[in-house]
Amino acid sequence: MQALSDWPEVIRTLFSPEGTFVISLLVLGLGLVVGVLVWRSSRRFMRELGVPEAVEGTPFERTARGLGTSTVGIVSNLAALFVYILAITIALNIAELVNPEVYWTRFTAFLPNLFIAVFALIIGLIAGDKAKLVVSERLRSVKLPEATVLPELVKYSIFYLATLLALGQLGVRTMALLILLAAYAFGLVFLTGLALKDLLAATAAGLYLLLTEPYSIGDEVVIDDQQGIVQEVDMFVTHVESDGKEFIIPNQQVMRSGVVRVRD
Amino acid sequence: MTELRDLLDDVVADADAVFLFSPSASDFERFDDVEEPVVVGPENAVDAENFVELPIDFTDLEGRIRFGIEGALEQELVEEDDEVVCVSGFMGGASNSVTRIQTTDFTPSGVYDLFVNSRAEPGVVRDVFEVAVELGKKGQKGKPVGALFVVGDAGKVMNKSRPLSYNPFEKSHVHVGDPIVNVMLKEFSRLDGAFVISDAGKIVSAYRYLEPSAEGVDIPKGLGARHMAGGAITRDTNATAIVLSESDGLVRAFKGGELVLEIDPEEY
Repeated sequence: MQALSDWPEVIRTLFSPEGTFVISLLVLGLGLVVGVLVWRSSRRFMRELGVPEAVEGTPFERTARGLGTSTVGIVSNLAALFVYILAITIALNIAELVNPEVYWTRFTAFLPNLFIAVFALIIGLIAGDKAKLVVSERLRSVKLPEATVLPELVKYSIFYLATLLALGQLGVRTMALLILLAAYAFGLVFLTGLALKDLLAATAAGLYLLLTEPYSIGDEVVIDDQQGIVQEVDMFVTHVESDGKEFIIPNQQVMRSGVVRVRD
Repeated sequence: MTELRDLLDDVVADADAVFLFSPSASDFERFDDVEEPVVVGPENAVDAENFVELPIDFTDLEGRIRFGIEGALEQELVEEDDEVVCVSGFMGGASNSVTRIQTTDFTPSGVYDLFVNSRAEPGVVRDVFEVAVELGKKGQKGKPVGALFVVGDAGKVMNKSRPLSYNPFEKSHVHVGDPIVNVMLKEFSRLDGAFVISDAGKIVSAYRYLEPSAEGVDIPKGLGARHMAGGAITRDTNATAIVLSESDGLVRAFKGGELVLEIDPEEY
């Protein structure tokens, strides 16, 4: 930023006052052209990336449509606006129409951050809604009222992250929020780990059993005093059946107690 | 046209239940406030309370109605001796024919039982069925092939059979629903012996020689050794056998030692 704020000085020393004014006009014109170009290319870029299809159906896109624009439109307009403002401030500075000390350094230094913050918010809003849609689509077959909490949780987690990013960009102290996030993430990991402990152990054992097949369907086995014919082996459990009784044995128990194969 | 209308009135008079076969939403709503109709179709698109799921797409009306009524009897949506009016799509149309049937008009063939109350999961039975039909349609390199699939109760089936050769599916994790299976089974169908498939759809083995006791197995005379073996194994175990005949190209299903379903792959 220091180098940037130096060169209007250089221009002013190189040219006469009239020349400086002309150059500032040129910068303004150039800014306008670049702005339009940015606007057009960002639109095309996002179209080709499939952004319109990806944001289809999210509340943000719907709101944007209600206002007569679209997500792509808003983002490309923002990008163009950023370039315009940049060009205007540079031009103003070269022409020295405003006090350079106050205006220039502070505002231009702040502008990219502001832009990134707004951008992060928009992406966060869309990603949150999209994630919610995807998760609830996945959970459609689970007809439990509790299952509807999960998509909401995912959505607000992403919103929270986006807000955090945006605030961080704007230079707001986010330490407290970060600690909250860490506690939340820790709780999530810890609790899911705790809840899935048995399933994880069973999966690890199941992987071994499926890959090496120490016993297969049709073998007679004894696992923990339960004798019978193996009917099914999957990731989590082994089905052993004898005389109309079907034992469903978790795979980690198979690994822990070992298997006796009956051959005779 | 009044005569025609009278005839139709006679057909639908005093019916105990209405069966709608794959109805459109508007058709269903028309019946909604009168009484609860029984909806029969591949999926419950109209969120009907009384619903019988069709696992395979019966092309003939009789098969569809038979399945629908047996399913409704099983779920106790209708009772025996009930007079039932079926609204269905005939010749590929939608809701264009009305049929009146008494639920005791025919002897239950167990076709509903085959899909829903088999040991194996309904989806697995359906997948194997589709594979057999596909195989019957195309054959192997244009020549008709025969095949024998034993679905469910795989542990017992394995104990009542012996390998004819090395099992190509050993230590593999192929399930019947997998897309590769159609091609693979087509290649393997030249092997002799039976395919054994577990309750959850895992292909346990090919090349199996079934050794059930064939006592008291009642299958139509004239069917060959493959059908006899398939029928007999279902008597000895809780498995379902799905057999594709090499000579007449029909797909037959056996359960409990009896023939429960017979369809022609060409019509399906």
